[in-house]
Amino acid sequence: MSQYTILSFLFHSIRVELLFIINYIIMNNFSTIGKPIIRQDGYAKVTGKAKFADDINYPNQLFGVMLRLPIAHAKIIKIDYSEIENHPSIKTIITSKDIPGEKRIGIIKKDQPIFCDEKIVTPGDVVGMLVGESERELLNLREKVKYEYETLPVLSDATKALQPDAPLIHPELETNLIIHHPLRKGDIEQGFSQSDFILEQTYTTQTIEHAYIEPETVIAVPLEDKKGVKVIGSIQNPHSARNVVSSVLGLPLNSVRIRQAELGGSFGGKDDTMNILSARTALAALKTGQPVKIRYSREDSILESYKRHPYRMKYKVGYNEDGKIKAMKIDILADGGAYASMSPFVTWRTVVQATGPYEIENVWTDVRAVYTNNPYTGAMRGFGSPQPIFAQESIMDEIAIKLNKTPDEIRRINGLRIGSITSTGQKLVKHDVNLIKVLDAATEKSGFTEKWKTYKQNSETANNYQNKNFIAKQEDSLFLEKGDFIPSEKLLKKGIGLALSFRGCSLGAEGIDAAAAYLSVQADGSAYLISGLAENGQGLRTTFSIIAAEVLGISVENIYYLEHDTGIIADSGPTVASRSTLMGGGAVKVAAEIIKVRLEDTLRTEWNLKKDEKVVFKGGEIFVATKPKRSIQFKKLCNLTYNKGISLSTIGWYPGPKVEWDEEIGQGSAYFTYVYGCQVAEVTVNIGTGEVYVDRVVAVHDPGRVINLMGAQGQVYGGVTQGAGYGLWEEITTEEGSIRELNFDQYLIPTSKDIGEIIPQFVEGDEQFGPWGAKALGEPTLELTAAAIANAVRNAVGIRHFSLPLNLEEIVLKRKLSPLDLKRGSAL
Amino acid sequence: MIPSIEYIRPENLYDLLTLLNKHNGDAKILAGGTDIITGLQQGLSRFKKIKILIDINNIPELKGIRKEKENIVIGAANTFSDIINNSLIKKYFPLLTKAASGIGSAQIRNRATMTGNFVNNAPCADSVPALLVYDASIKLESLEQHKEILLKDFLRRPYQTRLQTDEVVTEIKLPILSENYLGDFYKLGRRRSLSISRITLAVLMDIQDSIIKDIRFASGAVTPIGKRFEELESYACGKKACDEFFKELSLQMGKQILEQTGLRWSSAYKLPVVQQMFYQFLQRVHCLS
Repeated sequence: MSQYTILSFLFHSIRVELLFIINYIIMNNFSTIGKPIIRQDGYAKVTGKAKFADDINYPNQLFGVMLRLPIAHAKIIKIDYSEIENHPSIKTIITSKDIPGEKRIGIIKKDQPIFCDEKIVTPGDVVGMLVGESERELLNLREKVKYEYETLPVLSDATKALQPDAPLIHPELETNLIIHHPLRKGDIEQGFSQSDFILEQTYTTQTIEHAYIEPETVIAVPLEDKKGVKVIGSIQNPHSARNVVSSVLGLPLNSVRIRQAELGGSFGGKDDTMNILSARTALAALKTGQPVKIRYSREDSILESYKRHPYRMKYKVGYNEDGKIKAMKIDILADGGAYASMSPFVTWRTVVQATGPYEIENVWTDVRAVYTNNPYTGAMRGFGSPQPIFAQESIMDEIAIKLNKTPDEIRRINGLRIGSITSTGQKLVKHDVNLIKVLDAATEKSGFTEKWKTYKQNSETANNYQNKNFIAKQEDSLFLEKGDFIPSEKLLKKGIGLALSFRGCSLGAEGIDAAAAYLSVQADGSAYLISGLAENGQGLRTTFSIIAAEVLGISVENIYYLEHDTGIIADSGPTVASRSTLMGGGAVKVAAEIIKVRLEDTLRTEWNLKKDEKVVFKGGEIFVATKPKRSIQFKKLCNLTYNKGISLSTIGWYPGPKVEWDEEIGQGSAYFTYVYGCQVAEVTVNIGTGEVYVDRVVAVHDPGRVINLMGAQGQVYGGVTQGAGYGLWEEITTEEGSIRELNFDQYLIPTSKDIGEIIPQFVEGDEQFGPWGAKALGEPTLELTAAAIANAVRNAVGIRHFSLPLNLEEIVLKRKLSPLDLKRGSAL
Repeated sequence: MIPSIEYIRPENLYDLLTLLNKHNGDAKILAGGTDIITGLQQGLSRFKKIKILIDINNIPELKGIRKEKENIVIGAANTFSDIINNSLIKKYFPLLTKAASGIGSAQIRNRATMTGNFVNNAPCADSVPALLVYDASIKLESLEQHKEILLKDFLRRPYQTRLQTDEVVTEIKLPILSENYLGDFYKLGRRRSLSISRITLAVLMDIQDSIIKDIRFASGAVTPIGKRFEELESYACGKKACDEFFKELSLQMGKQILEQTGLRWSSAYKLPVVQQMFYQFLQRVHCLS
């Protein structure tokens, strides 16, 4: 070893050591960041004191009740109100004729009517609204409205939507294609020709419902002196609702004020629907001059609200003997249902992430969303990622099995690392590419590899009626032969499976990405805080208060987070894409740092401090780093600054860095940074009944930085449970566009008894964006679970299931059953 | 939406019988309300005619669980929670405790009554197979008369029983059986709680020297209503309790279910699985001996 090398080695190790120490000090210097903090709204919510939208009532309040046709697709000829229009219980009937502004809305395509006038295109469609004092009376009178209509052919199968003879949902658009996102990288044909093997498989996922516990509720109150309208509701994105209400009413934005009530869950689901309901109540409030409330029953909610897109995904993968994937061709079809809604954005995330977190030279992807008469689909936690993750992580395991490798091995060979080029041609630099780190942590924590090998061997003896084909129409096929009876000790099979993902943070090339926060410190050291992003139950108020408290060196209790109101805070884009901690949190940190500088300046003058003397804000005190004995209380410094006439209120603004996108070929720096996650699911499968029990899920996520440990763990518990629901139970099925599961007796979400232990673990990094590098966590926790469970089931039973959910019938019959299979007798 | 319905809560059995007699046909008894209230909400046709609901929760004569000679008597207004927590039931009728424990959620079990469960007589009523293998009988009372009939004779068709409009079920009577019987209750649902049964099975066996001396078994959710398999029970008596015979009995049961139920869309799943699980179940009970 030359002298130079030794020196450089020494220097390098010292540097590494130093960096480690500095990091250690920084990490352990946090007062509140990363600690478990109880949510600010927790007490009120668990004791039932929190005010949700339906807890809010006004004097002279009226109710709105929706009018719908009992079918999916029809031309409206006449709606006859003659039996009820003069009834004393009817204050007014609102229809599209009452709309002074835009009659149709939509973020990309203005295809969705507030009230349908010419035709309806899905059973959730609303043609009018009865308004009156007694909701009960209105519900009775609703039965007396007569509809004259001409039925139109129903398109319920998305795979037929682009056929030339398919009925057009919106004839004026001349096609049922909502969007097509192509992605072209490298030379796909050459990639396949250079591959040792090619595997082609098709995967499907189901429609699901958000299943927030609080159904939609909204109240509009007319403002005095014709100043406009105030709307209060369970609204996910108050500023989006304001945009819709103002365009429908034809009023300037400042004449519509939206206030958010406590939200009883959203998961991406209280966006479009709530914007439309806000517009309906606002129309009625301005027409009658009285407050108007709409509150949905569960049936109304499931019927009208949008769902998660069902996908049909064809994957063709070329790979070599050594496990390296050479080429991937993907063809995805998403059922957008009756309206475009968020389909263009949802499928855009899909096209970026469809190959999974793997570096592949040659990629050819097409993602299409189409119109049908089914319930429309839009944003739901995951937003276009849970579907391709199920397909891509299943096929990765299939390739591993074919090559006699383990699932973690195949992922280590292909996984993204620092400097890797993604499928969109983006070079991953300037952030921690923690993919292999989360994989290592998850496999180690769960003892993955050994278990996987053992269970795989056991699965070879799984009987699972493999040679049977039970068909209801063939009686003889339904009887077991003696060999089909499973020895008791072999009834339960264990399996373990993993899923890995990368996820672009925030909106990416979807749209403008910036957020505001307002911080106002009072003369006594207490403070008001609000950001333009909204509390949707994710714990944002607490997270943001922690960020401000950390910067100012005060306790979280000193911060009062204000109620969200579009009148007092700037539009910061929607609270979606797990972007609130990154963007809104970034804005809060900027605001707090501005105030901190002002306070520090006061102190420097007051104490005559030299420029190089470092001032520390900690524990409610401010002192010079080198002389901690002399300090001033935070509240005293606030008072001092206030009395000097210096403002302690400010707005922090946090713009996201630029990203680029070429939509012709799907290439570009889709997102400015990414997070990485790996979940390992352990299951027990009863091969006699098809029951799958989730014994344990190890969830390793890289959120950049954990702000509130308790909040982060809560995200994991909730996300994993919701993801398991997607994997095993939840499914919205339709018949001629009409939903069968209109309440929770039919639509099954997991109960606390259905999931075993969930073990969250966080890998933190050194990210340049977001507050102290905090990125995203909400959606990553959900997107992986179904795929991990599916791989665990494969490991247990030795058979691949290609279609979610893995319910009893899917496991036993390898297909879904539907009442349409045999129309005879009653449903048992 | 629930229509306007008159609600009365009598304080004793006589008042209840008088009310039933007076409102003959217009009134329906309300116990836990877990079927009626949700049914009214859904607008189910079998609840459309109700004008009056008579709440029986304040009637002392319908409460309590007691031992009477060789029987255990359960008052009709006992909730599933009452039954689960009762030591007499736990001791003498463990299948009933198990069946009751798997119903709905804690909140539903706190309200719903076992009597209401079989009076509603849904195909998937969890208490029915357990009660049937215990040879339960029930007492029916009206102003004019009271009578005792076997539960199996009381249940007619899905959602239909022999209850007359002026009658009320006042108690369930369960004969205490010999200690030689071993048994179990099995429920298959789509999830582990708040689950409507896909298959239920109840079995009691008296096995002496590997010979089936007596066997009783019943199923729910796979036949139009919960049912005993009496023919198969007699066929099984005297046979050797062995793997081979359990398989055969399970196949026979599958055939009977198909005969009684006919083909349904769910048959492709339920029929093979009920055979498999009945076999598993027999094996498990046999292992207890």
